[in-house]
Amino acid sequence: MEVLPIVIPLAILLALSFIAGFIWMTVRGQYDDLETPAMRMLLEQEEMKNNESDKLDPKKDMISNKERK
Amino acid sequence: MSRCTHCDEDILIPIFSDLDKDHKEPFCCNGCLTVFNVINLKGLNQYYDIKKSSDVFKRRSPVETKPQRFSYMDAPEFLAEYTYLNLQKQRTMEFYLEGIHCLACLWLIEKLPEFLSDVEIARLDMQKSVATISVKADGKFSNVARELNNLGYKPHPLKRNQSTHDLRKQEDRKMLLKIGIAGAGAGNIMLYAVSNYAGAPANLAQIFNVISVVFALPVFFYSATPFYQTAWNALKNRTLSIDVPIAMSLIMGVIMGFYHLLTGVPDNYFDSLTALVFLLLLSRYFLNKIQNDGLTANDLNFFYEGNSVLRKEAHNFVEIHPQFLKVGDVIKVGSNEMIPADGKITSGESLINSSLLTGESRPESVQSGSSVYSGTINLTNEILIEVEKTKEDSRIGKILKAVESGWLQKSPIVDVTNKIAKYFTAAVLLLSAALFIYNLNHGSAHAALEKALTLLIVTCPCAMALATPMTLTRTLSRASRKGMIIKNNEVIEKLSQVDTVFLDKTGTVTYGMLKVDTFNIIKEAAISVFDIIASLEKFSTHPVAGALKEYAVTKGSSKSHDVADYREVPGIGVSGKIANHFYEIRNGKIFEDGEVVAHFTLLDHIRPDSRAAVSELKAMNVAVKMISGDQKEIVETIATEAGITKEHMFPDMSPENKLSTIEKTPRSLMVGDGANDAMALSRSYVSVAVLGSLDISLRAADIYLTSPGIAHIPDLIKISKETMKVIKRNLILSAMYNCVSVYLAFAGLISPLTAAIVMPVSSVTVLISTLIGTGDLNRILSANKEAK
Repeated sequence: MEVLPIVIPLAILLALSFIAGFIWMTVRGQYDDLETPAMRMLLEQEEMKNNESDKLDPKKDMISNKERK
Repeated sequence: MSRCTHCDEDILIPIFSDLDKDHKEPFCCNGCLTVFNVINLKGLNQYYDIKKSSDVFKRRSPVETKPQRFSYMDAPEFLAEYTYLNLQKQRTMEFYLEGIHCLACLWLIEKLPEFLSDVEIARLDMQKSVATISVKADGKFSNVARELNNLGYKPHPLKRNQSTHDLRKQEDRKMLLKIGIAGAGAGNIMLYAVSNYAGAPANLAQIFNVISVVFALPVFFYSATPFYQTAWNALKNRTLSIDVPIAMSLIMGVIMGFYHLLTGVPDNYFDSLTALVFLLLLSRYFLNKIQNDGLTANDLNFFYEGNSVLRKEAHNFVEIHPQFLKVGDVIKVGSNEMIPADGKITSGESLINSSLLTGESRPESVQSGSSVYSGTINLTNEILIEVEKTKEDSRIGKILKAVESGWLQKSPIVDVTNKIAKYFTAAVLLLSAALFIYNLNHGSAHAALEKALTLLIVTCPCAMALATPMTLTRTLSRASRKGMIIKNNEVIEKLSQVDTVFLDKTGTVTYGMLKVDTFNIIKEAAISVFDIIASLEKFSTHPVAGALKEYAVTKGSSKSHDVADYREVPGIGVSGKIANHFYEIRNGKIFEDGEVVAHFTLLDHIRPDSRAAVSELKAMNVAVKMISGDQKEIVETIATEAGITKEHMFPDMSPENKLSTIEKTPRSLMVGDGANDAMALSRSYVSVAVLGSLDISLRAADIYLTSPGIAHIPDLIKISKETMKVIKRNLILSAMYNCVSVYLAFAGLISPLTAAIVMPVSSVTVLISTLIGTGDLNRILSANKEAK
């Protein structure tokens, strides 16, 4: 039971940090489109299977996320 | 029946590419074939592999690839209004694309930068069918739009409208934040509540209680605000909605929690109540999300403005967007183009198809001096029009206004849940008053008040409020997967009450285009009759020519000959010389040197599934009526073929007549596709627009079918009835749980612990009942599919 004074604040801190993370991501627009990225992921994999050299540049993803802001 | 290689549509008469000698790849129309060729030419045939391996996201329809002009997109005034610079300072425009339907589309669109040098980045949002495209410094949006059009995705530029577009995004994010915070709050509170239930020592229990209060604060004061808002609105309008008892329980819960905190009693209902807020918000969020997928009325605004238009300047014609047209401008409208404004023809003669505006399927001939209306289609020759009325003042603009006011006049229905809310709230208030009085006689006022408050808290109609959005969400998503896009959830309840179905004829029950009905060869000509057709009609864009050409191709016309002295007389026919013989095609006959060689008749054919749908509706005790702006004989032929009896036919209906007929039938469902239907659609009890509808009727309708024809109408009614059954069962179940909590409260057995058990159990029961109930929906829908 002596551990409680340490564990409980830690648990609260952890919870708060997750909430903060969630707020941050929502505000940044990470959850705006939940359908397409899931599909896009499938595509990139398929292209790798086909050994295509011209698969999507990962940088483009970053750009588009910023752009989405 | 075979399926189109490109769009998966069932094919009546397959057509094949010239290169495809073994006829392995059938197509439903030239549009799909063209797109197939374009995709192959660019070496993008992986598209079809991806399509095969992926689940179809939305049903797609046959492609129409009309060549269009897009250079108006490069005009500075257009760019200023429709584009913006992204963070990389690249000019960016958003397009709504028609025909986005599966993974392969995503692949194709996002590959754009690789085969189109203008494009820097292309991203697609599948849910909204919106592509965001940035071009290079010297890139042109006209090229992008042309390419998209060639690939079979008709592009509609979206105005960068900060106010609606971004507002919705902000709303969505706010809602998500509320849900997230409620979820986190509920989860953490549960942790401490469980410790308390398990019997934490008094000093710890007090600390845990304080922690739960801290976590509960943002849930009650931020996440739960929508409930207070709607409850307050309902009270202001002197009505009761289901949110009123919910807000009441939440407020009582907060009051009691704080009171206990201050008096040092470690009891509160925060664990149950925050979990409830979380679940309710979640169920509403999903319902909202599914309704906002696709286009809102606002997004559709730009559609009817159509595409580019050629305006006469001093020496030449300049392409502009119809939005920038002014009264007095002279515009040039080519064949098969939509007329963008009301006006008078200043030169040229042509045929006009005004079926979208009036329902009349036969083309009308016009010449210099005739009035023409926006929304009609110029069929044969180029004409010059002096603009007299634009936008709101035009005839179609007026219809649009009528549609909008029709929407406003349509009284919203009070759904079952909110109807019950009235009795529910009254019952709960009465019961807690009774409990208070009863306890007052048997103990202290303090204890009595406490018990009454508890009753208010634990009878929170969570399962009731949860059940309906959950069921509706499931139904709407099931329906949209089958190509039935239901714009708002109230429609489901209305659908289940429909007793009369009004069908428009052209484009709804029929294909909406002429096809050869009979063809008799009377005498062998010097060359094959079909070659005559192919050669003579080659240059004509008249609908009759189109029908004949298609027929000739299916009959194996192999080559087209050179034609001398070719002439086309609008409204009469075509003529020309082939190898010393003079040929004419006019009045349903084909002539060789003045002698008849063949007869033909044309008819707008009924869709093969129309008849089945009509008889299915009749079997469900729904009256089926046909309402059309077309002439009596045509309506009668088609209606009889569809199995509609004579007294149920309404031919020669103007848009206004349609409206008044619909208004006489209180529980009517109207199916239509043209602007002439739009007013009737906006005022009917439930309205359905079918694929290929003019954009105005899309705005007017409650439901949009992404597949052509009326085959889905019986399904719609069936699933709505099934859904209502599930909703009612859920309401009964949750009412039963509430009776249990009332009993417990009266027996004095209620405590935060019992509430923490009863409340989630009731929610879970309703959830299971919903899942089972909507599972039946799937069976209805798939059973139908097999039958077809």
